[in-house]
Amino acid sequence: MARIYEDLTAVIRRSKITLYVLVGLIILVLAFYWKIQVLDHQKYWKMAEANRLRELPLTAPRGLILDRQKVILADNAPSFKVSLVREAVIDYEKTMDNLALLLHLNREELKKRINRYRFIPAYEPIIIMDNLKLEDVSLIEARKDEFPEIKLEVEPRRYYPFGSTGAHLLGYLQEVSVDEIRTQPEKRWRAGEMVGKSGLEKQYNDILTGREGKILEMVDSLGRPRAEISRTEPQPGRNLELSIDFDLQRRAEELLQGREGAIVVMDPRTGECLVWVSSPSYDPNRFISRFSAEEWLALVNDPGKPLENRVIRGLYSPGSTFKIVMALAALNESIINENSTFYCSGSVELYKKVFNCWFQPGHGNLNLPEAIRNSCNVYFYQLGRRLAIDTIASYARLMGLGQKTGIDLPGEKEGLVPSTDWKKRFLRQEWYPGETISVAIGQGPLLVTPLQLACLTSVVANRGIKIRPGLVKGQGKAADREKINLPETVIEKVIEGMWRSVNSQGTGQGAYQPGFEVCGKTGSTQLISRETAERLVQRGGEVKKPHSWFTGFAPRHNPEIVVTVLVEFGGMGGQTAAPIAGQMFKAYREKYVRQTNLQGN
Amino acid sequence: MLDRRIFREIDSVTILLMVLISTVGIIFVYSAIYFQASQFVWRQIIWLMVSLLALLVAIMIDYKFLISISIPLYILMNIILLGLLFFGKLVANTRSWIVVGPFQAQPSEVTKIAVILVLARIFADYREDRLSFKGFVISSLVVGLPVTLTALQPDLGTALTYLPILFGVYILAGMQKKYILIIIIAVLVTGFIGWNYALKDYQKKRIETLLTPNQDPRGAGYQLRQSKIAIGSGGLTGKGYHKGTQSQLRFLPARHTDFIMAVIAEELGFLGLLAVFIIYFLLIYRFFSTVWVSADRAGVYLAFMVTMMIACQFLINVMMLVGLFPITGIPVPFLSYGGSSLMANFLAAGLVINVRMRRFRYV
Repeated sequence: MARIYEDLTAVIRRSKITLYVLVGLIILVLAFYWKIQVLDHQKYWKMAEANRLRELPLTAPRGLILDRQKVILADNAPSFKVSLVREAVIDYEKTMDNLALLLHLNREELKKRINRYRFIPAYEPIIIMDNLKLEDVSLIEARKDEFPEIKLEVEPRRYYPFGSTGAHLLGYLQEVSVDEIRTQPEKRWRAGEMVGKSGLEKQYNDILTGREGKILEMVDSLGRPRAEISRTEPQPGRNLELSIDFDLQRRAEELLQGREGAIVVMDPRTGECLVWVSSPSYDPNRFISRFSAEEWLALVNDPGKPLENRVIRGLYSPGSTFKIVMALAALNESIINENSTFYCSGSVELYKKVFNCWFQPGHGNLNLPEAIRNSCNVYFYQLGRRLAIDTIASYARLMGLGQKTGIDLPGEKEGLVPSTDWKKRFLRQEWYPGETISVAIGQGPLLVTPLQLACLTSVVANRGIKIRPGLVKGQGKAADREKINLPETVIEKVIEGMWRSVNSQGTGQGAYQPGFEVCGKTGSTQLISRETAERLVQRGGEVKKPHSWFTGFAPRHNPEIVVTVLVEFGGMGGQTAAPIAGQMFKAYREKYVRQTNLQGN
Repeated sequence: MLDRRIFREIDSVTILLMVLISTVGIIFVYSAIYFQASQFVWRQIIWLMVSLLALLVAIMIDYKFLISISIPLYILMNIILLGLLFFGKLVANTRSWIVVGPFQAQPSEVTKIAVILVLARIFADYREDRLSFKGFVISSLVVGLPVTLTALQPDLGTALTYLPILFGVYILAGMQKKYILIIIIAVLVTGFIGWNYALKDYQKKRIETLLTPNQDPRGAGYQLRQSKIAIGSGGLTGKGYHKGTQSQLRFLPARHTDFIMAVIAEELGFLGLLAVFIIYFLLIYRFFSTVWVSADRAGVYLAFMVTMMIACQFLINVMMLVGLFPITGIPVPFLSYGGSSLMANFLAAGLVINVRMRRFRYV
């Protein structure tokens, strides 16, 4: 069985060489492991941590917005949202199918949305649906183990308890846009975050936005949470207490119901606004969702422009309300005194053109207070003939027209105060003296916002103290008060006219409130010239009514409230705007003045 | 035939090392699949016992006798492999398992023993200084048949583990340069045909993965990426037993089988890994020493082929985990979960012990 000597040296030598090669290989492999495990340890450690840890943002509730009596105008309500964590997706197409089916979403829209956010890191969730119905929530909750890539979370969602009340003032939220996320200098916004896009929500977004909290949790390879490691509670945003009076606001909205226009009520002493109505309005609750582009577009394209905040963005000719500025200018420039009279025959020919008074029979001889009371056009044409356009412009600017009021809302418009310079620069034409005549009664290129007119009125009410309007309670600062270069005696003479207009059967008598000395001025802005209108009527056409204005304050001494009303196509100022303003004065008086009287007694 | 002296010569060192590695394996199988049923651990323990018993029985039989019956054994095993292709039950997309009740066995593992025995028989009387062309072709065909049958299952990983056996023969018999050329051509041709006609898509993906591991983290590169993260994050001393996040949170694929070394590397760190390497090296060195003391040429071939099979399988596995070799589903001998593989490796090691026991010529 045993063999005689066998020479195995060759094979043993070869086996030994093999051993050396193997040892060499083992050492090389060990060196490689040393590199990965010891030299590159930090890098892989971080990768392992990134694998196992997932940070979940906890949305901080936004600060509430309250009225001056702490009625909640903007609240938060819990709402469910669904997000997709792409990191945990294994089969993209299958996930898309499932999500579309589960959430009743359009598959293509869903893909488009996810595509839009493809630049954010894969571990950050992309919100694919919010404001879920309760039955959907339970459906997803029941099947969450099947879909580790989707997350169902509760978030505090903005809710406006009174719907369209104060909608323009409060503004609304929208999802922060992709461009904003991309271009943000430091990481401020998260994808899908809701930010104020208009109104106070935008203006005070930083204050209202709280600090986001986060949950650090451990997840397995399928993205299923295994344990919570740490949790930082979110810090809610700060509340905003407005100067708005909810009751007056509701009353004003009632009065303007079904009409297009604006109402501002302001305290001339502080600049605080008590009422802010722009009509028509909209219900911001309807598009607070991230997925309501259609509803939003419908509002944007609505010819009634419900999204527009007419109080600061509506530009109108001031009409006869501008006569306040004309009167102040003429008095201060000593062109007239309160006893100077002009004769009104119903029309006057100036610069070879006939200019009509609104009262065709004519007002006869009248002085300044009477001219204001009757809003006599001829009287002010005469002032326009005696004042240079640039002088008028400087007084208009002095009273705050043609510039932003500085209200704490975004998107305010400046309006327009024409001057020779303006015309040269923008129309490349010389100013014609005839144009000054139109400007004298608030027509022509002159454009103001309702808020500017309210501010102008408060300067008059304050006897020359200009104040910056504001919406937050208790914000009126001394720095925002400015004494303008206009003697009180001059202003007092104009106030006399404004008082007569309301209290002495003038054009503003609709605003009369017994025992509450309202002073004011009406206005109606012709949209087309009278000649054109007459031609239209002859042809059987329909003439749109002029915009109707009223702006005034009360009481005459130590004024507490300024009311400015604009009704688009409301007809003559005295017919529509003045009675609405009267109702506002009444409502204010009933709520505030009687109370103080009672306390006083 | 059975002599008391033979019993005294039973190589307890090799057996101890194997049991040690297997025990480490069981400990880490337990850690790796803690969240799943612990029956895996019990099953592996039973397999270890059975394998030990089989080893003890196998070493009773003189390896020369085993070599003498090697050809019928080889034919039988190949018939079983062929039968599997037609009648095998599809488990995890392959037909590599015989399923009898709760037991599963992988004949392709045991077939390796038959291949080793046949090759030992062929080369027992080989006297040439260099590998002859005839020897080259025959040995290649002997290995090629079961490799092809296994690759068709398709189980590329197990098929690959045959190749070190063949290389062992080539080396021992004296490789010639012209054969290397032939091998390269053959590999290129089969590679081309295989890539275009035989390889399944997932296998192609895996080979592509080796070239670009970071391309698609959830796709084909995922396994390699997670394996490297597990190993790298383990550091020098590891995260502690049962505390590896990559394995416990299941980021690591095939944790109890092909990637068990990554679990060890993560939980015990480089030092733990080094310890496993050292035990392995001791075992392999012990195998080599058997090669050197073998009584005859058949013994040398037997011991060397087994050594190559186990050493290369270990090396390929650890290279695979860090991207030095494509991920092909090769378990670590003794360490990975898997009964057939454990049994086959114990039987193979049994051949080495067999050779060592009977190294004295006068026996």
